[in-house]
Amino acid sequence: MPKYYHDDPRWADIDALPQDDGGPYPLAAIAYTDEYSEAMSYLRAVMARNEMSERVLELTEHIIDMNPAHYTVWLYRAKVLSATNSDLSREIAWLNPTALRHLKNYQIWHHRQTIIDKLDSHVGEADFIATMLEQDAKNYHVWSYRQWLVKRFALFPGKGGADGEWDGEKELKWTEGMIEADVRNNSAWNHRWFVVLGGREGETVSDDFIKREIDYAQAAIRKAPQNQSSWNYLRGIVRHAKLPVSALKDFALEFATLESSDQVHSCHALDLLAEIYAAEENTWDEAAKAFELLATKYDPVRAQYWKYRQGLLRQGGVVA
Amino acid sequence: MSLVSGPGRGGMTDLPEELRLFVDKHVSYIQSLDTRKDELEYWLTEHLRLNGLYWGLTALHLLGHPDALPRHEVVDFVLSCMHESGGFGAAPGHDAHMLYTVSGVQILATLDAFDDLEARVKSGRQRIGQYIADLQDPESGTFAGDEWQEKDTRFLYGALNALSLLGLLHLVNVDKAVEHVQSCANFDGGYGTSPGAESHAGQVFTCLGALTITGRLDLVDKDKLGAWLSERQLKNGGLNGRPEKKEDVCYSWWVLSSLAMLNKVHWIDGKKLASFILHCQDPELGGFADRPGDMVDVFHTVFGIAGLSLLKFPGLAEVDPVYCMPRVVTKRCLGQ
Repeated sequence: MPKYYHDDPRWADIDALPQDDGGPYPLAAIAYTDEYSEAMSYLRAVMARNEMSERVLELTEHIIDMNPAHYTVWLYRAKVLSATNSDLSREIAWLNPTALRHLKNYQIWHHRQTIIDKLDSHVGEADFIATMLEQDAKNYHVWSYRQWLVKRFALFPGKGGADGEWDGEKELKWTEGMIEADVRNNSAWNHRWFVVLGGREGETVSDDFIKREIDYAQAAIRKAPQNQSSWNYLRGIVRHAKLPVSALKDFALEFATLESSDQVHSCHALDLLAEIYAAEENTWDEAAKAFELLATKYDPVRAQYWKYRQGLLRQGGVVA
Repeated sequence: MSLVSGPGRGGMTDLPEELRLFVDKHVSYIQSLDTRKDELEYWLTEHLRLNGLYWGLTALHLLGHPDALPRHEVVDFVLSCMHESGGFGAAPGHDAHMLYTVSGVQILATLDAFDDLEARVKSGRQRIGQYIADLQDPESGTFAGDEWQEKDTRFLYGALNALSLLGLLHLVNVDKAVEHVQSCANFDGGYGTSPGAESHAGQVFTCLGALTITGRLDLVDKDKLGAWLSERQLKNGGLNGRPEKKEDVCYSWWVLSSLAMLNKVHWIDGKKLASFILHCQDPELGGFADRPGDMVDVFHTVFGIAGLSLLKFPGLAEVDPVYCMPRVVTKRCLGQ
């Protein structure tokens, strides 16, 4: 049902401000366009007199439902919420279904963040995020928002969360669940890095801790040897711990050998082997062979990249 | 400039064996965009109007038809979006925001209209510069989009882009901004929207662009990032923005321009990419879609054409990989 304001007595005091677009084009071609342009003309009118009221909240709600990307409307709504001392949990209750209807919208996330920050409570947010990720498990906005929550409420493992309901240990478990559901979900791997290392910069981590993460990544690679995300994670951890890349040689050999090129099950393993061989002058021939296989057989789309790395061998240089 | 999608679809008509670029169709497609005011989508995309104008104008310049939109009217419209503060809104009556301010500056630069700006708005350049500078967070060095204080490396890049075109980089703390970009580097070699956020080709473009403008590419692990970027190419030749995501024409720009800033465009298969991009155009009604079979729009149209320009496709003007503007324009503005 379209909703109009010109025959609503609660809005009788407002002279709508139609858009002056300078053109002769009629706006009435489509009924839905009528509804939108009328609502906008009432918004212009209330903004012109800087009205902060309950009915403006209703009006902005109506417009956002039709067009959530109109960010001036969000900005004005945020001002009205603050000026009218509105109940912010009611705002969150309205935002939940709105976010579900508009999965790609940007504005909604910043709005939510400012509200949750003011409410100073994350109650209900984990459930909301779960619902959002059911729609799209790689939604960038949702993952960025989750990171913000982890930081805002100190939900890092071993740090003790704000309450028992959601703490760092639970966050790590949840991340594991997301990776288990789709081992190729790069967003989930990135989130694990953030929870485990990224959000706690400068802190030293124990050897046990590093070993746990290496084991975790290796188990995931065994499930899907051609998965970029888990290999990136593994190599990131090894680099972070300042371990030599040769520590991964036996592991890489599980997925690729140079003896028989039919036994290459992962070009990431072959890439890693090439790097290990390139690090020692006496195995440069092996490295060259690995790069050759990558350029010609396993990853020919990036042939020039592999040739570049092969060329570095001749210059005595190595790509880290 | 409307952001209404369609009317055409990319790649629905059988393309001839020898792939070509349908320049005239794309020109008339872009020219027709502002005549679609009887469509609802025209009004629902009003919040992107100034961006849309920048996308359309840039595409026309790269296609070799710089005069296809009336200069005077374009300048009038851009200036009608400008606020007292020096910021620009998406359209008249919309709040000012970094993203539209950058588009406004880019359009004025492309049309060589900074003098028009000064003639019509007192201290126009300085005012725009100050609006942008005031959005820098003195503590972290990054930039907010507007008074609402959302922060994102897109805004940081946009700020440096516009300020450098205006010759006003000295208004901000460049070292702090560079530090912030550094803090967005991830373990996989890429960059995200903020420290810790997932690597994403669009954000790699913004971070590399910021480092190129500030002359600090020395801070980048070029081989590692180049490897990550070249891994974005899929078997069909298209590029994705993150591991395990679908290909999309707009990444032809964000990935390829990033590789160009690193001098590593040759690390991917350019022929396959050009073929993928050309398959996304509508040969009859003009415009490009995100992938074959989808509706065309002006956003994918400019990034498809700009990608082809980086691949040195014949007949296109040279694009600047840092600014996504014609190279002749950035040369003029930057005094190169």
